[in-house]
Amino acid sequence: MVAVRFHGRGGQGAKTASRILGTAAFVSGYVAQDSPIYGAERRGAPVAAFTRFGRDPIRERGAIAHPDVLVVADASLLDDAAAHVLDGVTGQTVLFVNSSLSADRLRTHLTLPEHVTTRDVTGVALQQLGAREAISALLGAVAARVVGLEWEPVRSAIDRELRDLGLAEPVLERNLTAARLCYDSVEPARLPQGAVQAVGAASLHHPAYEPPTKGTARIAAAGNSVLRETGGWRTFRPVLVADRCNGCWLCFAYCPDGVISMNREDRPVVDYAHCKGCQICVHECPTHALIAEREQEGGVAWTAK
Amino acid sequence: MWQRETFKKIKQIPREEHVLPGTALCAGCGGLEALRLAAKVLGDHVVYVNAAGCFTMLAAYPYSSFKGSWLYTTMGSAPAGAQGIRDALDVLIAKGRVPKDEDVKVIVLGGDGSTYDMALSSTSGAMNRKLDFYYICYDNEAYGNTGMQLSPATPFAARTATSPCSLQHPGATQEKKDIFEIWRAHRPPYIATVAPRYPLDLAEKFARAAAYTGPKMFLALSACPTGWGYDPGATPEVAKLAVETGLWPLKEAVNGVVTHTYIPKRKPVEAYLQLQGRFRHLFEPTVHTEAIRHIQGQVDAYWRQAIQEQA
Repeated sequence: MVAVRFHGRGGQGAKTASRILGTAAFVSGYVAQDSPIYGAERRGAPVAAFTRFGRDPIRERGAIAHPDVLVVADASLLDDAAAHVLDGVTGQTVLFVNSSLSADRLRTHLTLPEHVTTRDVTGVALQQLGAREAISALLGAVAARVVGLEWEPVRSAIDRELRDLGLAEPVLERNLTAARLCYDSVEPARLPQGAVQAVGAASLHHPAYEPPTKGTARIAAAGNSVLRETGGWRTFRPVLVADRCNGCWLCFAYCPDGVISMNREDRPVVDYAHCKGCQICVHECPTHALIAEREQEGGVAWTAK
Repeated sequence: MWQRETFKKIKQIPREEHVLPGTALCAGCGGLEALRLAAKVLGDHVVYVNAAGCFTMLAAYPYSSFKGSWLYTTMGSAPAGAQGIRDALDVLIAKGRVPKDEDVKVIVLGGDGSTYDMALSSTSGAMNRKLDFYYICYDNEAYGNTGMQLSPATPFAARTATSPCSLQHPGATQEKKDIFEIWRAHRPPYIATVAPRYPLDLAEKFARAAAYTGPKMFLALSACPTGWGYDPGATPEVAKLAVETGLWPLKEAVNGVVTHTYIPKRKPVEAYLQLQGRFRHLFEPTVHTEAIRHIQGQVDAYWRQAIQEQA
């Protein structure tokens, strides 16, 4: 059995990528299962998804604690301790990271296993699809190649899964082209033999009854959400070109998260620790004084608290 | 002719933030845009009563983005929760156990699933009892928090998780419920629709509502990049087209008397529909002329009557 774990940000397509891999394995004649996990989080927040496939029936269910292959859809997740991306990774784990940086560059500030491949999948998506976050087909194709699946079943899996999502024909075609590019850009990995982990029964925890006054969650603080930084959600950051700004306040008025404040000269100041990168300010700026720049990767520009 | 009195210029929007960042709401959330602007007028002496929904994420344990208080309720009971708080405050202030200057405004936050559907009876009861509270519905036209299932606020022909589309079946077959008129039938002192793309209109309405005792009801267009299928940066553009096509009328009702606060020139509805993934099936692979004409017809009929009544 091969166990593949995907990490991504909500909306990036990690969940669909895991489905594509599962379907591709199934079409190739394996037994397969896939499932996502996410909390009450949404677009931009860390999510994970799991695919298992093999020749024999698979009895394991649920989260994959010790993946054979780990696919990371967004390099900034590696710096986010709360995302638990590298949990259960051993020296044998094969790691793929969507990043324009080399594995050695990532190793300068992270402890990573021996087999690390990086490719700029987002770059391919921007070039081929013109969209900034839809990379499910591309990631699914990469993962399928890494685990050694043939292209034809991968193609049919992408077709089936994206069609189910209601994608229009031309978009589907562009996805297949981009996915093929990504598929061809990586090599099949030598997966550890007998990678099946013996899973012991977990001990059950029985919570004790507490009266509602004690057992109900209470937050005895005001406005402490600022401790939770959401800057890592961005793929693009708004950057001010100061001499174009006419100080109209529209970016400040439309920012949903209230992360733009106006300074004494009526120029916007962006709180990059919290800006989620929605680009509303960039879209709405009447003088194009705010431009979107692709985020610098590798935790250099931003680290989670 | 309706005119803004308090908020005439964009630079009158208060600088201070009352809904702080760090929430897990989607990037580009139109509902949060509306709440943030409303909160700038409402201030910090408030208690929000939040029906389960996307806005639950504003105070997900152990973090709260509010400087004031927040109470969480089920989807069907936020107005009942508001009644409890209002009564408790009134009783404690009367008994001198809470100083009068510590009184707070009670504000319900509910999504359209809660507002149009589950909490409708609870809201009706609160309005009928003339409860002194604010109600803000952030309307993204589906049960968004659970994955965009059809709600009574879903417009005709929209694709949701439970109103799929095919060549034969163009999305939702029902019409959007007219919650404004349902509210108006209760004759609360103040009702308004708002869209955050029109921040001065929004702020002005919250400022006006403060003059009234009793239910102050707000319906906020909450363009939803995740559920409606468009790039998060286009949230204001989508909201603008909703208003400019006439699909989302900006209006208020003071003691039941309706005034439209903005009369759009009315672009064709296609301009709005075409931007969104949930309506894409109306244009690809074949154009559903009938469905589009039906939507245009509804808008035209609405404005014919509205303009007639206003004249």
